[in-house]
Amino acid sequence: MRSNSFFKRLALGLACAAGLAGFAGGAFAQGATTRIGFQAGLTGPAAADGNAGLAAARLAVEQINGAGGVNGKKLELVVYDDQGKPEQAVPIANRMVGDGVRAVVSAGFSGPSRAAAPVFQRAKIPYIAAIAFAPEITRTGNYMFRVTSVGEVQGRAAAKLMGDVLHKKRAVLLTIKTDFGKTLAAGFKEAAPKFGVQLLKEYEYAPSDRQFGPLIASIKADNPDVIYATGFYFTAGPLVAQLRSAGVTADVVGAESLSSQQYIDIAGQAAEGTVITNVIDWGSQLPEIADFLKAYEKATNSKAEAAATSTHAAVVALAAAIRKAKSDDPDKIRAALETLDVTTAIGRISFNKLHEVKKNFPLSIVRNGKWERFGVIDDPALLAPPEQ
Amino acid sequence: MSLFLNLASQGLINGAVYALIAIGLAMVFGLLRILHIAHAGLFALGGYLGLVVTNATGSFALGLAVSMAVVAACGVLMYRLCYEPILEQPPYVPLIASVGMFLAIEELLRLVFGDHGLSYHVPPLAGAIDLGGMRIKYAEIAVVVMACVLLGGLALFATRTRIGMAWRATVSEPRMAASCGVSLRQVRHLNFAIGSAFAAAAGVMVGVLNNLVEPSMGAVPSYKALAIIVLGGLGNMGGTLVAALLLGLVEAFGATYLSNYLDRDSIAFAAMLCVLLVRPEGLFSGTKGSTGLLARKLQLKGAAKWVLTKRPS
Repeated sequence: MRSNSFFKRLALGLACAAGLAGFAGGAFAQGATTRIGFQAGLTGPAAADGNAGLAAARLAVEQINGAGGVNGKKLELVVYDDQGKPEQAVPIANRMVGDGVRAVVSAGFSGPSRAAAPVFQRAKIPYIAAIAFAPEITRTGNYMFRVTSVGEVQGRAAAKLMGDVLHKKRAVLLTIKTDFGKTLAAGFKEAAPKFGVQLLKEYEYAPSDRQFGPLIASIKADNPDVIYATGFYFTAGPLVAQLRSAGVTADVVGAESLSSQQYIDIAGQAAEGTVITNVIDWGSQLPEIADFLKAYEKATNSKAEAAATSTHAAVVALAAAIRKAKSDDPDKIRAALETLDVTTAIGRISFNKLHEVKKNFPLSIVRNGKWERFGVIDDPALLAPPEQ
Repeated sequence: MSLFLNLASQGLINGAVYALIAIGLAMVFGLLRILHIAHAGLFALGGYLGLVVTNATGSFALGLAVSMAVVAACGVLMYRLCYEPILEQPPYVPLIASVGMFLAIEELLRLVFGDHGLSYHVPPLAGAIDLGGMRIKYAEIAVVVMACVLLGGLALFATRTRIGMAWRATVSEPRMAASCGVSLRQVRHLNFAIGSAFAAAAGVMVGVLNNLVEPSMGAVPSYKALAIIVLGGLGNMGGTLVAALLLGLVEAFGATYLSNYLDRDSIAFAAMLCVLLVRPEGLFSGTKGSTGLLARKLQLKGAAKWVLTKRPS
């Protein structure tokens, strides 16, 4: 009886010791890495952009860790799938907070990112939206940052592209009914008169539309010399192919959402000459850009597009902020991000008062079935992001 | 005038695609009273198969044929493995099973072929002709011709052949048909095979028109075809065809004149709601609806009755 209880105590003591050791081990492991949360839609309708973003984030972490990590610690990516759904984003945001992440990069769309933002603001964890355009995100609070320009800014850049670069003055606007499309249209309409671009007509279409015959019939009657095709590769690809086969020869201008090679694959010959306001400066000599484009293609066997490039930039900016703060304390990371000025795969970026990104818009054009460099829109006054 | 003609022809082209998709749904509903949502999954599968085979062999005709044959077989398998065991359950059971299969096909296509969708290496039926000031693509002409040939063939088959008559007999009076020696199971197999093959043809043609097949390409047809068969008077073949063409036309003009107020995809549902309020049995149902809005509100009639009441036999 007595010996039995002795063994019990011994066992208990051993278990406690093992537990303590385990705890210490865990704490040590946590101390050796800096955990970065990653949120994106990896399944469901957002999966194409989400998985491209994940590949880019993994590449960035690999490159940073390969160069010795940040402040002597390796970065560790904690990946969660928001399925493209706002209602899924909140529980995973809470789990990331529970996992002890020091900062979060989101390659999720507007809906889920907007839903997750308040969770991280309350937990005082810096949150960098890479491809979400919803204006509410940065307005959630001072821990929120965005490395992609809001739609209004990009719409203004498109107006300058049409008026000053392409010298086209009679425009038709095709607005996709999403947060992104509507903000692009708003920015474009605001800036178009400044560049002498006359808006003949605006049409709206749904993201599920692939057949544009009726719209094209009307556009033919409008007889524009340039068409602003807001939308994604899977809407604009069929649209441009149908425009050309209907005999419409007007120039096509798009946004960074057409930057993937799929756009050219879908539209084929019809894609030739399409110009977009991009985040990728194809053919740039800057090592931050050229190295990323090469490494991404090698890692994924596909060419980089906007979502991947912006996500890579978000991780690189975050690592730069941790380095600058000399600490992975979330408060210090946040303070460092505010004054950060760093060159990334999307060029040189910094943040304004509202933590919206300040950057240029490289232009790209389709030539011989590939995106090529077509100049840059660098007009700080025109491209000033909103401050409140 | 040119704009009007252009819109009308685009409407007919869209209508032809809708007709090819919706007819299979109407056939299944007419026979089994199942809302066969997974039909749109077969449509997407057909689009993928046509594209993959065409890209691999370079022959679009082969791609189309393989796609229709394989998807027809998949339709029959779907009936045998999924619907047949639960035919005696209340109608919502096969409906839930159908939604499940639809989602499964979508995610399967995503897993196998990737998130981004696929395009033809060499788009088939490229080129266009000028027709009275309009440019109409060969692919668009092919859609309309294909719809006419397939649906005309189906009409001939149903009215002029013994099997076709057995099929129609089973639709209108299954127990009587069975007692006359018609094999219900074979009729149902045939029904699924034909409907699924038509959906595959529609999927292939949509893939050609857009030069894009994507995992979620069935999402819009899944609900729009429902609206069409409700408009057409559930299970009514002729009504379904007319409703499909009408919807194509209404959408074509709506997308031009109403696009800033009303989503193109919501036009189908606005039309469906209006028709259900005025003629709950659908536009082209043979039975006459009761008069008086109150009576209709209190009693399940027409479409609502078809959906909510238990299947015969």
